[in-house]
Parts: sequence; structure tokens; C-alpha cells
Amino acid sequence: MLFNYALGKELASPTKLKKVSKKTLLIIGIAFNLLLLGYFKYMDFFIANINRVTGSKIELLHLALPLAISFYTFQQIAYLVDSYREETKEYDFLNYAVFVTFFPQLIAGPIVHHSEMMPQFANLRNKVKNYYNIAVGLFIFSMGLFKKVVIADTFAQWATQGFDVSKELNMLEAWVTSLSYTLQLYFDFSGYTDMAIGIALMFNIKLPINFDSPYKATSIQGFWRRWHITLSRFLRDYIYIPLGGNRRGELRTYTNLFITFLLGGIWHGAGWTFVFWGILHGGALVIHRFWKQLGMRMPKLLGWFMTFMFINIAWVFFRANSFEDAIKVLKGMFGGKIVLPAWLHDYFSINNEAVQFGNWSKLFSQETYLWLWLLAGMIVVLFLPNSMQWKARFKPSLFYLLLTVLFFLSIFMLYRKSEFLYFNF
Amino acid sequence: MFHPKQYLQFLFGTLFLIGTLAAGYMYDFSKKFPPPITNRISFDAKLKFVREHIDPDQIDTIIVGSSIGLNNVIGSKLEDYSEKVHHALNLSVYEATTLEAEQILELAEAFPNVKRIIYSVQYSDLPHAKRYDNYNPEILRKFMRNELSPVALSQLLFNACNNIPFCVEREKKWKNEHMQSDKFTYLGFDHTGSVPLKIYKGKGVGGRWYLPHPGIMHPESFHAIARMAAKARKNGIEFYVAHQPYRPELYSKHKSVRDAIKYFDDKIMSIVSKHGGVLIQLQKLPLNDYQFADRTHLNDKGAALATKEIARTIDKHEKTNKTQGK
Repeated sequence: MLFNYALGKELASPTKLKKVSKKTLLIIGIAFNLLLLGYFKYMDFFIANINRVTGSKIELLHLALPLAISFYTFQQIAYLVDSYREETKEYDFLNYAVFVTFFPQLIAGPIVHHSEMMPQFANLRNKVKNYYNIAVGLFIFSMGLFKKVVIADTFAQWATQGFDVSKELNMLEAWVTSLSYTLQLYFDFSGYTDMAIGIALMFNIKLPINFDSPYKATSIQGFWRRWHITLSRFLRDYIYIPLGGNRRGELRTYTNLFITFLLGGIWHGAGWTFVFWGILHGGALVIHRFWKQLGMRMPKLLGWFMTFMFINIAWVFFRANSFEDAIKVLKGMFGGKIVLPAWLHDYFSINNEAVQFGNWSKLFSQETYLWLWLLAGMIVVLFLPNSMQWKARFKPSLFYLLLTVLFFLSIFMLYRKSEFLYFNF
Repeated sequence: MFHPKQYLQFLFGTLFLIGTLAAGYMYDFSKKFPPPITNRISFDAKLKFVREHIDPDQIDTIIVGSSIGLNNVIGSKLEDYSEKVHHALNLSVYEATTLEAEQILELAEAFPNVKRIIYSVQYSDLPHAKRYDNYNPEILRKFMRNELSPVALSQLLFNACNNIPFCVEREKKWKNEHMQSDKFTYLGFDHTGSVPLKIYKGKGVGGRWYLPHPGIMHPESFHAIARMAAKARKNGIEFYVAHQPYRPELYSKHKSVRDAIKYFDDKIMSIVSKHGGVLIQLQKLPLNDYQFADRTHLNDKGAALATKEIARTIDKHEKTNKTQGK
């Protein structure tokens, strides 16, 4: 942090340096941050691949990943780049330190930009207790807690069963597994973000919006404008645009889009499944852009369906521990045994191994409320206002008081201990 | 609409009231029922039982295993039958794999005067190499020995009991499922923590009576047994592997069962000859269907006979060792 702050100051200073150019300093700064990130996060991945390719037996380092390293590395790189562009102001070190380590959003975002945070830390008015902000903050925090503890952790059980426990899945089981994870990830991550936004608001700090009902998106481009918005913003400002954005012709634009999302995939985790997930999204964005260039349109409902299905399938690679696990789930989704109700058996004399009648799942058969949860989850993500819309409507009334209390009751479900999914990224 | 300050006063007041009521419930629950400290109710019940009823310094014999340890060895009978065993404690936990049994044995350090460990097992316990997640033996040892500070104890119980719907569910199940001696979920411990079952001739157990287990045994399970034996020897503790009997009819009818039992015995023999320990093969006992609850679980009558044989072997082995000055 000290290194980045000092370097940022140097880069931002208008005086011309004598020995080393600013560009060299910036490259050193970015390389330093990326090397740290690479060492802690990707070293074992790198060694494992060297071993696989060369047949060597280099021992893995099994390093403990410093909490939130991916997040604060991005924030500090952005600070250095903006300092180089002379877009930063004279920031106080204490405020810089708070910006990098601000605890509500430190471990899982939103990824904040110095220009939106530092002025807030420096503003004296923000140091005065604001009861309204505390009330809204508590409401948003409690909503996030509820999303994480009650909803996401419920779906997590089924996703884990399908991905990690079962060796083979029939069609219904596979779809339950993938949809459970799709919903789990959204409620988990957006729940965490809500908690961060809520806590920050209690300190009069406004964090940027990170989710805007992403599963309502009718195109893949729309999805990335609604999902992990602050990551998309970073990728756009610090990778896509510096690569040339859309200013260097169509082919170059496609390449830039693809590279940006490939890097986005790698940022999420050290594994080939994450790389493949990035490739899928990069590829989808390229196709989407090409489609738009052709001037073709798609009915909204079909657009939503295709987008949601694509995202759901891509999350399979994101969640799976290996390609084998991902293929197991996908095989079940598209080639698994079809399950029909038992009473249909008398009407169809199918003697086919691809069809089973009744007893829909050995894996989930005990879960009486599974279908209700899935249905409710889909209704919430598709039809209800998101937490930022709730925040805008908040009033210190009895209704919101009761809702906050109700959400806080989810603290009594904390026994199902589980880590936040985005802690690893 | 309230003034924001007034709104917060109401909100905190309500939350405080709910919090106080919840804390009261948690306290009451942890006194009456096993607090969900681990992810196994029989483990939780055992921890509470030891904490409340056992003097850790007296224990000289520990029995460990899955339900095969919990039901098939009766600690109180062992104390009666053996000259060597004075204070037994059955630390077995339902469904414990061999690796989990090894983890449970890490709790043995809470009992400084242990002289022998009996691992009661059947080959059917070995197919999975599964361990307990987030297992912290140090905290559990302190919990059993009543050595946790008030703050640490409150923290442990809060973490255990804060899922109130789960606790309410457990409370409901406790009487109906865990206090009925004719159910496999029975957790009515004798004074040593054993659970003698009162299920006779496989009544109501269906396939568990006549279908044998597949002979799948995970290699890691044998490594765990080897580590248990080696650790016991290092600490000067006698280590016994009590290989519990399979229902005789299935044993004689299915070659796969006989092969699995032989394979298990051969592996254990090679382990105990290398790391120390004694294999007690109980298949040879003259048992019949009246002594079995299902294909591998003995009822109280069968368990008494198996326990008697274990006691006889312990006495014989330890007398021989004494004579030989080991």
C-alpha cells in the first residue's frame, strides 16, 4: 500500500522526472502488483501446468491466499494508471489506506474507484452521525444477510449435492443442480454486496451499485451491464479501452472484447474451468456484437431465454471443480435420463434406458420444498425489485421496520456455516 | 412514518428483545438437548454426556467406531467381564468412517489415564475416506473436560445453537427418534456411553437384514487404522481391532462377504504385526439371528456376547504381556 501510494504520488506529480520516465514507473508499479497477485493466486496453477506439460514433479507451494488480494490489486492498479494520467488529486495517505482497506467492501467488492471514495472519506460532513443513513444501511444490510444466509445457503446444499457428491445425474437432477447454483451465486454475491453497501452507508459512505437484476437481462451485453457492474467497469476502463476498445476497426474490437473477458475469467480463479468460462463469455459477447452489426433483432422473451440459458450453462464451468464435473452436469442436463411421472408408465410402453418413470431423484428426493424454492428464487430474480430499488423506496415506517426485523431473524439460520463464494476471487 | 432516530430506537429495542429471548432459548436448549456442535447428533450427544457424566481422569478404556462401536460393544458389560477394564468410555459416533474414527481418537488426549483403545469395526465401515470438516479437537477436549473459559463456552454454544429452527427440529426429534431403544437412531447411553439396541431379528429393517454390503474398502481407511495403531503404541496404549461379526446366514451364503472379511482380516493382521495391536475376530462367535438387529448390528444380547469375547481377549493379552514383562 505504501509502495503504491508513493508511486502514485510520483506519477501524479507534474514535474518531469529526470532518470526514469513516468511510463517506466507505471509499468514497474503494475508489474509489481500483478507479480504479487500472480505469486499468491496463480503460482500453484502455473506449477501444476508445467508439471503436466513437462512431466516434472515440482512441488506445489500451497500458499495461503491473502484475503481479497484480487480486489485491492485492481483498485491499486486503477489508482496508479489514473495517477499516470494525472487524473488523481492530492490524496492524504490515511484516506488512501482507508480506500484500499475499507472493511465493508474489502473482501468481495464492489470494486471501488478512488475518485468515488476518497472525496467521501475527506468530506467532513460524512463524519457526522446520520440517523436516516443508519436506518437505510441497516435495512440493506439485513436484506443482504437474508439473501446470503437463508436463500443462497439453501440453494448451496443442492448445488453441492449435484456438483460434488453425485457421480451421475439424470436430466431433472442436473437442471436442479445448475439452476440452484445460478441462484445461489446471485443471492450469495449480491447479498454480500448489499451487506457491504449497508455497512458503508451507516458510516455515510455510498458504495457503487454492483447488481441491477442481472438475470432480467435480454442479451449477454445487458447481463454484463447488470452483473458485478464494478468489475465490468474496471475491465472496460483499464483493459478494453487501453487495448483500443472499438476505435480500431471491427476485427480488433472483437479481439479486444474477447481478450478482456478471457482476462476476466482468469481473474476469477486459477483454473482452466475459469479460463473456459471467460472464453465462453468473450465468445458470446463477440457473437452478440456481430449480430448487432448485422442489424438483426430478436424478440425480447427469446433474447432473455437464450441469455439466461447461456449464463446458466456457463456457470456450470465456473462452479465445477474440474472439467469432468462440469461435463457430468452438462451431460445430465442435455443427455441424462428423462424422468416422467410414474402414472404415465401405463400409457407409454417405453422400454428405454433413457427414460425413467417416477422416483425422480435419489439425490434430492428428501427435499420436499426444493421446487418451491426454485420457483420462488426465479420469481424474486425476475419480477421483484432489486435491493437498490428497495433502497430508493425506503422510508422509516413500520413496514420497513418489520421487514428489517424479519430479515435480521436470518441470523438464526447461521448454523449452516459456509463461506462467501467471492472470498476466493 | 417515524423520525429516523425514533425508528432506530424501535428497531434496536425489538432486536434486543428478540436477541434476549433467543439467548434464553439457546441456553435452555443446550442444557436439555445435545447442542449441535458437530454435524452428527450422536457425536453432540456424546460430548454432552461426557461433559456431564464422566470423570476424564478415571477412564482407562476407550471404545471407538461407528454404530458398530456404539451398539456392538457395551462398555458397562466390558467393565463387568474384564479384570483389566475398570472405567470404559464408548466414544463411537453413528456413521463414523475409519478416518473419522481416527479424528475422534484425537479426543483421547482428554483422558490422561487411558490404557487401551478398542476400535470396533466391520468391513462395511470402510468404503469412504471421509473426514469431519472444521474439526477442532482441542475445543472439544476442553468442552468435555469443562475447561473452556466462560467466554469460549458461550461462543461455542452460540455458534452451535444460533440456528433456532434447527434446534427446534432437533428438540422434536429427540424424544421420538433418539430415545426409543427399538430404533437404530437410539441414543440412550449406558453409564459408559454405549447404546445397547432392543431390536430383534431385524424387525422392520427390510433389506438391511438380508442384503450384504458390497466388499468395497478404501485403501485410505487402512492407512488410518495403521496410524491409529502406531500412535497408540507410541503413547504406550494397547490397541485392539474388534472385527464385529456379520449375520451368520449371510456369511455362509455369500462368498463376497467371506472374501471381504478375509481381506479385511489379512490387512489388519499386517497392520498390527507392523505397528502393534491385536485383532479380535468375532465372526467365530456362535451367534444366531436372535442376537442381531440387522446384518451387522448386534442387539443387546448379541453385543453382550461380543463384549464378553473382547473382555476375555483383553485380559488374556494383557496378562501375557505382563508375564513377559512387556
